[in-house]
Amino acid sequence: MLIVDDHPGFRAQARALLMAAGYEVVGEAADGESGVRVVRDLAPDVVLLDIHLPDITGFEVVQRVGGGPGRPAIVLISSRDASDYGRRIERSGARGFIAKAELSARTLAAVLGGPGP
Amino acid sequence: MTRRRWGLLALGIALLGWVIGGEWVSIHVLVPENHFIDALPGLSFLLAGIVALDQRPGNRIGWLMIAYVVVSYLGNWGNLQVPVAPAIGSSIGQQLGGAILAHIALSYPAGRLRTRFERAVIGIIYGVSGLTSLVILLAFDPRADGCTRCAWEPAPFPSRTAVITANLVAQRLGFILVLLFLAAVWLRWQRATPAGRRELAPLWVAVCVICLVDLMGAFASPFPDRQRFAYLVWELQSVLYISLPIIFLWGLLSTRLARSAVGDLVIELDKPLPPGQLQACLVRALGDPSLEVAYARDGLHGWVDAEGQPRSLPEPSDGYRARTVTMVERDGQPLAALIHDPALDQGLVHAAAAAAGMTIANERLQAEVRAQLEEVRASRQRIVEAGDAERRRVERNIHDGAQQRMATLALSLAMLRDRAAADPAIAASLDQAAAELRQAMAELRELARGIHPAILTEEGLPAAVEALADRSALPVRVLADFDERLPEPVEAIAYFVVAEALANITKYARASGAIVDLSRCNGTLRVKVTDDGVGGADVTRGSGLRGLEDRVCAVRGSFRVENLSAGGTCVRAEIPCDA
Repeated sequence: MLIVDDHPGFRAQARALLMAAGYEVVGEAADGESGVRVVRDLAPDVVLLDIHLPDITGFEVVQRVGGGPGRPAIVLISSRDASDYGRRIERSGARGFIAKAELSARTLAAVLGGPGP
Repeated sequence: MTRRRWGLLALGIALLGWVIGGEWVSIHVLVPENHFIDALPGLSFLLAGIVALDQRPGNRIGWLMIAYVVVSYLGNWGNLQVPVAPAIGSSIGQQLGGAILAHIALSYPAGRLRTRFERAVIGIIYGVSGLTSLVILLAFDPRADGCTRCAWEPAPFPSRTAVITANLVAQRLGFILVLLFLAAVWLRWQRATPAGRRELAPLWVAVCVICLVDLMGAFASPFPDRQRFAYLVWELQSVLYISLPIIFLWGLLSTRLARSAVGDLVIELDKPLPPGQLQACLVRALGDPSLEVAYARDGLHGWVDAEGQPRSLPEPSDGYRARTVTMVERDGQPLAALIHDPALDQGLVHAAAAAAGMTIANERLQAEVRAQLEEVRASRQRIVEAGDAERRRVERNIHDGAQQRMATLALSLAMLRDRAAADPAIAASLDQAAAELRQAMAELRELARGIHPAILTEEGLPAAVEALADRSALPVRVLADFDERLPEPVEAIAYFVVAEALANITKYARASGAIVDLSRCNGTLRVKVTDDGVGGADVTRGSGLRGLEDRVCAVRGSFRVENLSAGGTCVRAEIPCDA
């Protein structure tokens, strides 16, 4: 798993939470451009991607990484509610959305459609 | 009568004698078949020249017309049976007339040549005519050429070949000179402003007449006994020449005729004028559709139009789009500036400005008030926009700061909760803390939405209103005939109109539902929120609707609340999309 978020505190907590749940966190990135680069370098299975990044938006990262076979499942996260983005999340091509405060192994597994790590 | 007019009268009488005398000499000495009717073109030029000198003393065209009369009747005086006269008559008299005519045409209407090209063309025409005259003067002996009626000539270097060659060269060059002349006229037309082109209309008529006369010259002959048809053509040329000075004179005096329009302006301004109509009156009086009036701001170095909108004065330039600025002043202070076609007569413009002086002063005051109102409105708009920008900034700060920290805290609590699963008391406390945190986050999210909804920034107005409708306690139907983004201030104002209207309906209307209709028409966003409640909404009561009205009006929009006769309320706002 790769975590792309510009808040170091959140990244640390998310990494600890997910690793405790059995996920392997292979990398982190603090902005959109380095997120795209790390996705290409590390080829993670799942990307936890913040929508609001300092350089480009999470939606643009999804567009540049692309979807389909061989591409990671991207889960968008934000401290805002999904309703604040209207239908943009559906149209983005990401696997799903989780509010940051709701992030857990259970919600992640629900979005990814599997039992978990 | 002034001394100048006496002088002109004397000149006129002298030249009348010159023309009639010349024609008498021509008839009685050389061509008895000729008529005094041939004097008419000369008389026409003479009369036009004298009138032009009287009415337009600073314009050289009057003198050029007089010069044409003097030169063209030299030929008639050349028929005198005395030495030298025939040589001068047949050389200068017959050669220079056309050059002066071209000079009149190209210097019309200002009386001076404007460009180097025009000066070059006229210089070449005079040069060719002068050289031909000189060759004829020195080498032409009409008796040796077979003219039995002609007087003896003291040609210093008699040479039939030289005369024939000079005439042939002048004829060939004449074709090129006509083309150069037409090119100069065409360039004048191309560079003229719209009003200037109207002024040049007589020139085109004159050019057509000159070309026609030149063309007829190939078939004309002044000797009726040799070729009857050619003589008729020659007479017809004379008649056409009569029209030339009249055409030019009409053009020159048209400004004087236009001055009568200033009189009409005075009468028109005597009645109260609707605001902003002065410009239209001046356009009519001066015949310049492009004329604009700019008014000086009080104590400021700026200009506004009649609507109070700032405008600048044009820089000096040439060509088709050239503009001239005529200042209207009172006690040395600028009152207004008339921006007009440079071809307009300055005297006429000043006369019109003087006639409209009082109206200009009144219009300037009105424009000043409108400019100040516009400044107040623009200031209100800036305040509203600054408020919206501040709302967006606060919402972003909440998102980037408190919401992020609370989200991180929620994750920490979740982890602690997992670790404390074995201790029910601690687990319960942590669950309680997490629930409190979720509640705090929800409230903060609502607060942020109220300040500025993120979905409005992210997705635009229709999506934001849909989200608003989804969260409403009442069933709300949203109709929108567009999906594209509008300017941020427009979206924000429209959103808050809908939000406030729906909040009011929920609180007071006792309605079973509401309809929000968003549509765009001719660059205006129309927002309509209708409910089926009890009605009774009033803009004058409560600060919510009043605040909305202020925001909408600040961007030149309109806002009204109607209590429907069938029950319910309709809130309407129209917001210009260029706000």
